[in-house]
Amino acid sequence: MGIFFEQLLNGLTIGSFYALVALGYSMVYGVMKLINFAHGDLFAFGSYVGYTILVWGSGRITQIFGIWGGMAVTLLITFITVAITGILVEKAAYRPVYPAGRLPLVVSALGMSIFIQNGIMAVWGPRFQAYPSEVVPSAAFDFFGIHITLLKVFILLFSFFLMAVIYYIVEKTTFGAAVRAAALDRETATMLGIDIRKVIFFVFALGPALGGMAGVMNGMYYRSIQFNMGWNYGLKAFTATILGGIGNIPGAMIGGLLLGIMESLFAGYFPGGGAWKDGFIFIVLILVLIWRPTGLIGEKIAEKV
Amino acid sequence: MKNNKIFLIVFAVGILFLSSVSWAEEPVIIGLQAPITGDYAIEGQMAKQCVEIAAELINQEGGINGRPVEIIVADDVSNPKDSALAAQKLISQKVTAVIGSYGSSVTEPAADLYERNKMVSVGYGCTAVRLTMSKDRKYFFRTCGRDDSQGQFFAKFAVETMGWKRIAIMHDNQTYGKGVAEETLKYLEPYLQEGKAEVVYYDAVTPKEKDYSAAITKLRETQPDVWYYTAYYPEAGLLVRQGREAGITIPFVGSNAVPNDDFVKIAGIEYAKGTLMTQEPMPQDIDSPISKVFLEAYRAKFGDIPSSPWPIYAADGLFAIVQAIKNANSTQSEDIANALRSMTNAEGVTGNILFTERGDRKDIPYAMYEYNEDGKLQIYQP
Repeated sequence: MGIFFEQLLNGLTIGSFYALVALGYSMVYGVMKLINFAHGDLFAFGSYVGYTILVWGSGRITQIFGIWGGMAVTLLITFITVAITGILVEKAAYRPVYPAGRLPLVVSALGMSIFIQNGIMAVWGPRFQAYPSEVVPSAAFDFFGIHITLLKVFILLFSFFLMAVIYYIVEKTTFGAAVRAAALDRETATMLGIDIRKVIFFVFALGPALGGMAGVMNGMYYRSIQFNMGWNYGLKAFTATILGGIGNIPGAMIGGLLLGIMESLFAGYFPGGGAWKDGFIFIVLILVLIWRPTGLIGEKIAEKV
Repeated sequence: MKNNKIFLIVFAVGILFLSSVSWAEEPVIIGLQAPITGDYAIEGQMAKQCVEIAAELINQEGGINGRPVEIIVADDVSNPKDSALAAQKLISQKVTAVIGSYGSSVTEPAADLYERNKMVSVGYGCTAVRLTMSKDRKYFFRTCGRDDSQGQFFAKFAVETMGWKRIAIMHDNQTYGKGVAEETLKYLEPYLQEGKAEVVYYDAVTPKEKDYSAAITKLRETQPDVWYYTAYYPEAGLLVRQGREAGITIPFVGSNAVPNDDFVKIAGIEYAKGTLMTQEPMPQDIDSPISKVFLEAYRAKFGDIPSSPWPIYAADGLFAIVQAIKNANSTQSEDIANALRSMTNAEGVTGNILFTERGDRKDIPYAMYEYNEDGKLQIYQP
């Protein structure tokens, strides 16, 4: 039972990374009907920004604010930096090609992804970088025979907190209603006086910023980061988005968490599961899509006439 | 008009001056295919540095019969797809021979291309048995050892020297990782039949991932005495860290693609300390006439000696090719290949370089190394 619980906890941690990245995909897709391929790389970029802040002046941030305070400051600065980057990406790569339709937009997104990835490589180098151990909290406790680090607890709680905040903004506020309206039918929303530019600004700032913070936590949790790490997480998070129902905020969260838990349990309990994990995930995805083409909690999309 | 004349004279003198210090003969161009970027970047970058040093040493000694050696680098980005592109690039530039690459699954497609274009290639970090045994390759050689010797070494060491009974083997399902795991299993077989040892865990993890906690928890539950990981360093670093954090205290043994500075960086010194490695001897532990000069030159230029066993095999690839060209007195691929097979006078950083008929290196010793508290490798004393 202890083992099961441990695997579940591991799965939840991976899942919360997926969920945070998936949120960004889903928000952008909902409003723009665009799969933002650069999103995974913005996640990696966030990870590198956090790394740079933490190693700056051989850990000065940590010396000033303490180990947890340093982490909070790092998360905040990363949030702002990646949010600004997200807006710039939209301005540079997407806005000029909106009139051309959806296909050029996707190509532009792919190009942006390659650009960011190579930019990271040019600045920080192609080799692995590691978050130094002095700047990462290492406290841990034992809970019914399971070794749990405080960092893991923090990551879980903070991710859930972020998801709750996003859920609240999108589902309960007036502005959130505007975002949802824009996602539902952009033209009508514009006609009803919703400033669509504000909505676009919002999703392109918040989506990448969430991914960036996930990147910092990911770096702290696994310590090693690499310029092309965004690709793998981008792919998994995209899968999570589809699984939960693309364009749907709670769907992205549930998709991400579910994906993490399934991965972990399958690898842990299925013989030879480690190697077949990804195959299993995609089989599940296909089955879900056969059963519910719009994802687990995706709403039925009526064809526009 | 006058100004132009003065300019011409200065220009002519300049040309004369330049040509007097440069080589009179045309250079011999050797390609290096290595992972300069991608997952195994550190191994490619160190290999590049080593080959540069080797080329400098060779050119100081007069090059190849008065012709200087020049190196062209092609980056294979640590993956098979780009490996083929890198090979195409070197083939189209008509290099005389190629050194490379690191990683068995990366080397394989390139080796096929070089073979088809009748170009000699000398691998430096590709140890899978199948590279030389599955096909007849006339132009493929390697300066490194083969996985079966490593598997044999580990099996004997684990059971006879250490007395480990419950053995866990973990690989990554790639050519190299799976190869070492299978060879190890093969050489453990006699011990298994005698009941001296037991393989309690044998499974693969997916490379390029970050979270291996599921596999680790599973491994821990089988209660092994030793954990042998037979694939590359990026995953090994994460596995050691996550394994120790999950409470696995048994010895961790890495195969020869694990040890280098990036492994220590990813695992963190606190966890890398005490891990064991089955590998070829480190450059500083090799007693050969060239190794001292070579390592001095390397240290003078790059500050420290290479942190893994592989890069010096890349340098040896160059030493071998150069000696073969000298012996054959020809830059034709066929002559070079024949000379490589038959030569006995090639001195490299790792000692005398001898090849078998199939292109494998003869007599590569293996040793057990341990990471000390400074994050450096030293020979393990049980």
